[in-house]
Amino acid sequence: MTHTAFREEPFTLDVDYVVVGSGAGGATAANALARGGGLVALVEAGPWREPEQYPHSAYGAMRDLFDDWGVGVAQGRALWPIVQASCVGGTTVINCAICVRTPADIFDQWERDHGVGGGSFRETIWKHQETLERELSAELVPSASAGRSNELAMRGANAMGYGSHVMTRYAKGCVGSGQCLQGCRSLRKQSLNLQFVPEVLAKGGHVISCAPVKKVLLDGRRAVGVTGRFRHPQTRKSGGTFTVRARKAVLVAASVTHSAPLLERSGVKNRALGTGFRAHPGTGIFGIYDDVVDMNAGATQGWASIEYRVDPGLKLETLSIPPEMVSSRLSGVGHELMTRLGDYRHMAMWALAVRAESVGTVRAGFFGKSVVKYTFDTGDMHRLRRGMGILARTHFAAGAKRIVPGVYGLPYSITADQMSLIDEGPLDPRAYLLILSHLFGGCVMGKDPERSVVDESGRVHGYEGLLVADASVIPTNLGVNPQHTIMALARTFAERLLDA
Amino acid sequence: MNWLIRSVMVTLYPRTDALPGIEDTGIDAFLVRFRRDSSLLIYLGLLLGTFVYHSTPLLTVYVPLPAFMLPAAVRERHAARILTSRVYLLRQAVFIVKLIAGLCWGADPVVRQKLGQPPIPADPGTWRST
Repeated sequence: MTHTAFREEPFTLDVDYVVVGSGAGGATAANALARGGGLVALVEAGPWREPEQYPHSAYGAMRDLFDDWGVGVAQGRALWPIVQASCVGGTTVINCAICVRTPADIFDQWERDHGVGGGSFRETIWKHQETLERELSAELVPSASAGRSNELAMRGANAMGYGSHVMTRYAKGCVGSGQCLQGCRSLRKQSLNLQFVPEVLAKGGHVISCAPVKKVLLDGRRAVGVTGRFRHPQTRKSGGTFTVRARKAVLVAASVTHSAPLLERSGVKNRALGTGFRAHPGTGIFGIYDDVVDMNAGATQGWASIEYRVDPGLKLETLSIPPEMVSSRLSGVGHELMTRLGDYRHMAMWALAVRAESVGTVRAGFFGKSVVKYTFDTGDMHRLRRGMGILARTHFAAGAKRIVPGVYGLPYSITADQMSLIDEGPLDPRAYLLILSHLFGGCVMGKDPERSVVDESGRVHGYEGLLVADASVIPTNLGVNPQHTIMALARTFAERLLDA
Repeated sequence: MNWLIRSVMVTLYPRTDALPGIEDTGIDAFLVRFRRDSSLLIYLGLLLGTFVYHSTPLLTVYVPLPAFMLPAAVRERHAARILTSRVYLLRQAVFIVKLIAGLCWGADPVVRQKLGQPPIPADPGTWRST
């Protein structure tokens, strides 16, 4: 078992399977292939950080864990940041490990619109999700570690009379340290750098970190390996070249923003490549309460509602953020901003994510960067505005005296009798500070090679030994957190590959 | 260059009776560290935001001087107006400076104590090499 990090010298390796990317999709696929007896190399662009090496601060998280400091943006009418990780374990290191099974209507939609995902596929995915829940110790956020913000959200939803729930997460005995975004030093969150990746090593596999793949090597229409150049995690300087040859297959799981551009740079020909980019763009609203909330004491995320998942298409949840991030999230400058920051202990931030129908593209850009083009259409703006109204009313129902919407053109804070300002708020995407966290598409799954990139087993149409095994195959949005779906898809693809 | 960036950040996060300003939180060392650690893209964003801030008082407070030459109260009024400018790209450019400054200000132990937060230890910045 070997782990190879940054090196100056050239590096070559021959294995059965190469997996590009070690996040939810890549680590799960590599793990399944290793369990099936394959010799696997897991190639990750970012470094491997052990829990004791996780950062403590938001600065450290952006520097050490986020992909390009988290400043990659989707280009459209507004510039919205795309937040994902670049490290062994991928975004599972910095997310809140929320575990939601793929809803049944999603499989129906995939079958109806894309010719994949019928009954047996659904049963396979759900079977894997059941197993994954056991393996990764999925459990409800313990009430003792929920924290005040999550309790208030539940109270607000109950008072409003809509359904909500305590989250189930891959976190064993969460102690509510409020450090999900910086990596869980308490070792409660079951991120995949702690779970599936070590098992790949234990089964004789290889992990190559600090190794951004530049190209998938093709021999005609057959994938035979990957190549790139090591990148130093601190200086970002290039090191030696690496080439990993695959005797059986290459699985690309480099994330939605990187998988399609990687295939494009590698010369893969497919009309649908880079199309079908979708997301759940989200934003937060602060409630300001009379009592101290201390939102960072307790689980970063512990409460959610999918009551509005279908109509109008929203997901609501708590999301606590540290002072370093609140300071820029609040509007105002100077003495006015400092006065507002004085309310920090009384603030609770809750978020809404829009199950957006807008569709964009993800393409290869200059200098190895990816270019995401994405703009909200009017329907999604209405969904967003409606979600703002629901979330704001939930705050008031929970006892908030004021809410801070963070919307350009609206007052800094709004009281309950001013809700019409939110309900009739702007429909210009540039007025909102949204973040894109749940991404889908770019290598979408489907039956028709003219409209899709991969088939129901993750195999790229028209190529041998080339698969995609991350969220870029998902042809629709989900309306729920995607990690569980990504992992189950990756395990399905890997097992089918072993059986082939 | 750092003094120009510092000038924006001090205007955004000034010292008040209740809370320390960014000038009390090791901003100079932070800027040196940030220059060393940051990617080209985000550092260029910081420079662009600084340039926009210093070069636009004529548009906001109608004074044909760079922002660093303005009296403190006028500078703060300029900052408020540029961050609420109708021109999206102008306000976004200065928002990047505010975001980065917040990473320094919010991590300071005295600030955190005032906000009821525990201090945060230094980030290890290390990774697994073998």
